Amino acid sequence: MNIVAKDFTPVTTVPPLKASRISKEYLGGTFKALDDVSFELQENQITAFVGPSGCGKTTMLRIIAGLEYPTRGRLEVFGKNVQGPGPDRGMIFQAYTSFPWLTAMQNVEYGMKILKVPAAERRERTMNFLKLVHLEKFADTYPRSLSGGMKQRVALARTLAQNPAIILMDEPFGALDAQVRWEMQELMIELIEREKKTVVAITHDIEEAIYLADRIIFFSRQPGRIKADIPLTFKGGRRIKQKEELLEMPGYAELERQLFAMMREEIK
Amino acid sequence: MESAISKSRDASSFSQQNLPSENIEAAPIYIPPKERFLEFRRQPSAQRASVLAFAGALMFLGLWEAGHYLTPASARKFFPSIGEVGSALYVLFAERNFLQDVSVSCWRIFISFMAASAIAVPIGILMGSFGNIRALFNPTLTAWRYLPAASFIPLLLVWFGPTDQAKIALLFIGVIFFLISLVLDNTTAIQKEFVEAGLTMGASRSTILTGIVVPAALPAIFDSMRNMIAVSWTYLVIAEIVGAQDGIGAVMMRAGRFLNVDVIMAGIVTIGALGLLTDLIFRGICRALFPWNVERRS
Repeated sequence: MNIVAKDFTPVTTVPPLKASRISKEYLGGTFKALDDVSFELQENQITAFVGPSGCGKTTMLRIIAGLEYPTRGRLEVFGKNVQGPGPDRGMIFQAYTSFPWLTAMQNVEYGMKILKVPAAERRERTMNFLKLVHLEKFADTYPRSLSGGMKQRVALARTLAQNPAIILMDEPFGALDAQVRWEMQELMIELIEREKKTVVAITHDIEEAIYLADRIIFFSRQPGRIKADIPLTFKGGRRIKQKEELLEMPGYAELERQLFAMMREEIK
Repeated sequence: MESAISKSRDASSFSQQNLPSENIEAAPIYIPPKERFLEFRRQPSAQRASVLAFAGALMFLGLWEAGHYLTPASARKFFPSIGEVGSALYVLFAERNFLQDVSVSCWRIFISFMAASAIAVPIGILMGSFGNIRALFNPTLTAWRYLPAASFIPLLLVWFGPTDQAKIALLFIGVIFFLISLVLDNTTAIQKEFVEAGLTMGASRSTILTGIVVPAALPAIFDSMRNMIAVSWTYLVIAEIVGAQDGIGAVMMRAGRFLNVDVIMAGIVTIGALGLLTDLIFRGICRALFPWNVERRS
């Protein structure tokens, strides 16, 4: 009889990432970069961390990546406590991290080599991902001869090829010029949609946040806290691939205005 | 109003100024300002650069020759001309088996430098990668760097006598401590995100060390080695004073005793030429080993 009752209980999904009461203190507690921050990520959602500089959004991302440790709090990936970095959380940095001593192809392969993916499968996946980031013609090119956007595409392919549960991006397009940045944003939306990934992206660019994200977490500074948690409902649960379409949607201008106002409040 | 907005949405509705395609008159030829010899940061063409390099060498040789003739005739034998040094060089190679001395010197440099690199490079990389290793060794090594290598000559003579080992040991001491600190700097200078990328990809510490830190730092390390082998050549004469028997330095010291200035200068010229050759070989090795690091010429 118990079995029947069990069937009726709703399926509780375990979030891909759960951050509970994270604090990060420096200088023996006199400076709080993060103060009691809690949130859960939703599966297959893109979350943008937005806030003024010095608000702790980078610290939060690095804590999720395991590159920094919180003073207090707990971090769970699919319900499991995590300590330190791991391939379940792939990271894309603002600085170009495609290794200059490896060709584009070897770079993409490198992450899978670490995970000991068999050679045949590795090669196939590498070519696949190089195609997805439109670099198949540059497979044997060293990063030195690639443009900034291409280097970042190599890093993106390398991270995606490792198939991490969560992808963390620290201002990944911050060093790119406006047009390349826009191309990369479109490519990223396309790839994330295809690969079904949970993403956290830091950006200081409000327009970029609205374009990329399904949800925006706005951080306030000193101490770093979540000031607002904004689901981007005006998109109607879709991801808009064309920027022109996004700009025309009702609600876009209002949201952008609100975010600018929040930013101004913080800067004061 | 409504129509104006919907119209402007279409990019083609913006007025576009079409340039006439059938331009009859050719655009005027642009005459750049006259180029002067001193232009900030302007690089000469390869051809011009080699002409300038040749001119620079000629200026040096001219000064040398002028120095010779400006010296009072009575003292002129202490400042031999280029021709005299050239003929001394010829006599050395043709009649006094100088090639044997040159190869002995080269061998000493090679062995001592290989030994110093074999120790300095791994230690430097470990110190640059791990703060605790750095804290363990750095204070002691810093003290060693301040000790002049020449001050070890008496000690080395007591330990080894006037042997090859004493000379190689001196050359070794002369470069190893500086090489360690250079390799340490080269290793700490790698982009920190390379290591962090390795960590987030789940690489082990040994994989990050051998697969990321070493290849990232190696071109700079080779550059440091190239600079330190030059220092090694500068120590050669000092090293070969220790029980001078053979080697370029020994030949020069012996010549000094008989005031054969032309032979001393021939020795200096030989060391200079060998130094230049070493440098070229090192650059060649770097280009071959690190094709990915070759400067793109624009």
